[in-house]
Amino acid sequence: MGGDFAPTEVILGARRAVDEFGLNVILVGVPELLGDPLGLEVVACSEVIAMDDDPAASVRKKKDSSLVRAAELVRDGRACAMVSAGNTGAAMASALLRMGRLPGVVRPCIATPIPNPGRTPMVLVDAGANAECTSEMLVQFAQMASTFVEAHYHVERPSVGLLSIGEESSKGTPLVKETHQLLREMSTLNFQGNVEGRDLIPSPVDVVVTDGFTGNVALKTLEGALKFVFSTMLSAIDTNDATRAAGDVLLEHLLPVATRLRPESQGGALLLGVDGICVISHGSSNATAIMNALRVADEMDRDEVVGKVRATIRPDQAA
Amino acid sequence: MSADTAPLDRAAILVLVRDQLAEILEKSPEDINEDVSFEDLGADSLALIELVEALEESLASYEDGFHIDDEDLEGLTSVRDAVNYVAVKLQVA
Repeated sequence: MGGDFAPTEVILGARRAVDEFGLNVILVGVPELLGDPLGLEVVACSEVIAMDDDPAASVRKKKDSSLVRAAELVRDGRACAMVSAGNTGAAMASALLRMGRLPGVVRPCIATPIPNPGRTPMVLVDAGANAECTSEMLVQFAQMASTFVEAHYHVERPSVGLLSIGEESSKGTPLVKETHQLLREMSTLNFQGNVEGRDLIPSPVDVVVTDGFTGNVALKTLEGALKFVFSTMLSAIDTNDATRAAGDVLLEHLLPVATRLRPESQGGALLLGVDGICVISHGSSNATAIMNALRVADEMDRDEVVGKVRATIRPDQAA
Repeated sequence: MSADTAPLDRAAILVLVRDQLAEILEKSPEDINEDVSFEDLGADSLALIELVEALEESLASYEDGFHIDDEDLEGLTSVRDAVNYVAVKLQVA
């Protein structure tokens, strides 16, 4: 039910995921608000968590909301994953409270794949779930994101960078310096040292770890900057007849690049550390973004990401 | 209270709150004493909601439909507050 273009674009994206990928998609929503479900199964609920609702409190108060019910479908084994373009915090709270945390995970985190021209996407973690973190949490985020990259993108020993204000280990806040030391001591991680904001795209590493506050600011800065660059470029092309003629030639090459760099191309962010799959799409998701998010959710299930994260955090409890 | 449920006293409530919190925060129960604040334990709002839901589930066998009001949560800032709140709710000495 959530998202700027819901429910129309969400339903359309779900239908396309069924038609193009053969997925079995269940819509969870208020029937009177959903409109035509385009032939998809609907699990009815009576409430919606709004974008500005308090995440934790709303999950407790609105027990019959689409987010809570979707998380329960995963918990109860009726669905292998949930996808939402709604309130990010509430999606995370629903998944955490209904699916539960994986044993040993201190806090779940949001991992956001960022297009990385010429190689597999770089995964930024935490992209906004935990504003305040400890160094132990950041190490776990790095472990979980590395496991995801290995399982989903089939990268052997993914390289990990720690977001800071300089490459030297002496740079950064006390949290960054402490985390740097811990990551360096982790032989199971392929830690490459600090990376800077300019290393987010293109990125020399497969995983960039940071706290949720910094990660969210970095992500939104990147999105805003990319949007600005492309809109400025289009304005320049539209200056006069000569630039428009040049644009006819250039756009054929520029538009595919712009499409690849758009957030919806990656499907959305992934909640790592809960006992189920939860994909959180951008609030402005259109049908293509929703379709891609469903595809990613299905791939995560096939890649057994949750089981692999469980084994990473608690190797003794691996199946 | 169901027939097979052991009587609950304040000490038992403390153990219950401490153990639930330890599990949620991935800490050792020994690291959690009654005087410590949730903030010092690093428990954010989501962790506290986890604690509330876990307590409601555990305490349902003592009182049908045991419920912690969301409005009361703001007043609970420490382990002691939580233990006292549950004790009063369940009328435990």
